[in-house]
Amino acid sequence: MNFFSKYLWIALTAARSNMAYIGEVSSRFIFLGVILYIFMRLWQVTYHETSASQLGGLTLTQMMWYLTITEAISLSATKVAQEVDEDVRNGTLAVQLTKPISYVLYRLATSLGERTIIFSMNLLIGAIIANTMVGSTPLSLAGLLLLACTLPLAFLLDFLGNFIIGLAAFWLEDTSGLALIYSRITWILGGLLIPLELFPYWLQPLVKALPFASMIYGPAKIFVAPDINNFVEIISRQIMASLAFSICLIILYRIALRRVFANGG
Amino acid sequence: MMINKLCNYLNLAKEYVRLNMLAQLEYKGAFAAQIIGMVINDGTWLSFWCLFFSRFPALRGWDVKDVITMWAVAAAGFGLAYGICGNALRLPGLIAKGQLDAWMLYPPALLPHLLFGKMVATCWGDALFGIGIYIIFVRPDIAHLALFLVLVLSTAILFVGFGILCGSLGFYLGNSQGLSQQWHDATITFSTYPATLFDGSIKLILFTLIPAGFISFCPVEALRQFSWQFTLASFAGAVIFLILGTVIFYHGLSRYESGNLMEMRG
Repeated sequence: MNFFSKYLWIALTAARSNMAYIGEVSSRFIFLGVILYIFMRLWQVTYHETSASQLGGLTLTQMMWYLTITEAISLSATKVAQEVDEDVRNGTLAVQLTKPISYVLYRLATSLGERTIIFSMNLLIGAIIANTMVGSTPLSLAGLLLLACTLPLAFLLDFLGNFIIGLAAFWLEDTSGLALIYSRITWILGGLLIPLELFPYWLQPLVKALPFASMIYGPAKIFVAPDINNFVEIISRQIMASLAFSICLIILYRIALRRVFANGG
Repeated sequence: MMINKLCNYLNLAKEYVRLNMLAQLEYKGAFAAQIIGMVINDGTWLSFWCLFFSRFPALRGWDVKDVITMWAVAAAGFGLAYGICGNALRLPGLIAKGQLDAWMLYPPALLPHLLFGKMVATCWGDALFGIGIYIIFVRPDIAHLALFLVLVLSTAILFVGFGILCGSLGFYLGNSQGLSQQWHDATITFSTYPATLFDGSIKLILFTLIPAGFISFCPVEALRQFSWQFTLASFAGAVIFLILGTVIFYHGLSRYESGNLMEMRG
């Protein structure tokens, strides 16, 4: 088995495991339905009260589809930080290090496998809900293709951020607070609840440059408003942020491994 | 007689809170981290509304202060409810696993002992957040602050009553953890958005099946208009759900089957 195929196999196994518990996963759809309905009312009322056909460059239909994508991305997040934290505390990490696979790549493959399935299901259900609520669907092949190109890097970036937080278990008593703070910062600065174009004008350049925008806002915006220049900009930011996060992870991981103690028995 | 009984239950609640708090304070660092984490979590939503109202100053007559009031009432009410009656959130699991046995050994009545038995530590973060943002951002006078605290109490009663009602589904449906959770979460989600967004049948649902209207609408209107009618409406909704939850709990209890579970309890 070559280098890539073993991690592909791990990702496929994680995806298949999620398919086996599809009933459990489907309970998320109720929440997705509730939140999309509330957002639809919020933005319907806002568009109506401002008498605007576009807000932040998006029509009401585009806004609903933007929120469908952002919620599908957010609700597909896996518990990487929590799993790494547990592996550090209960010694699973030390056991994993003896196996002929990289622990980081094993976690990455598992996370991507799970997330692909959950995101696909979220998107399917979200699409049905959004289509029912706002009627016509602005689906375009270009939008779908550009979304498909930006999503893997968005998932990778989120994985790297969460993995770094999980590694903090080597030094901290409890990383759940840190993981919560990270996820909430991602929500707000990533444009989960409100597109970045509706942020105060002075804040927009800053939030667009931060890596959080590449995780949620970028893929959702490129889907509802496909544009090749915007796509190149998003991909460039994703690659830069992934490189920066990867370097941090490698340094932190090497330091952390020096603190691993394994006792026989 | 009635007053004596009420005082006894209040003393019982006070003792349980004291004991649960002492247990939490054994792990001071983790307790503080959970509370700070919850304050940051709630702060995220406040940031969203501040961003929203920085672009759109009003939403069907509600401004940013009204939405902050809504969040303050909901968060403080939720925090007070489950900071004291934490087991109301765990009821479906306790019923499904047959873990009510231990609570049945206590002197009657069962429900207060069961509810007070656990504390959800993060809820004190919600309570602090709610009261804090109301004082800092809304800057109420003494009368409004007093009314706010009364409405937090009514919201807490509603959350406890609704928690018992959702949890008691377990007596009838077996393992109802998923359904109870979804029902409860839907109420919390709706209660953190202005009820003025919704019309028609959805509004009716928000005062019946998903009683978020008694959290997000009546208390905010009571504080906006300093209205005793809306205050009474908030309390009426809370008391109805508490009575409904209690009646359904005791009715369902007759169907309860012991899990014959052996466990050590600290």
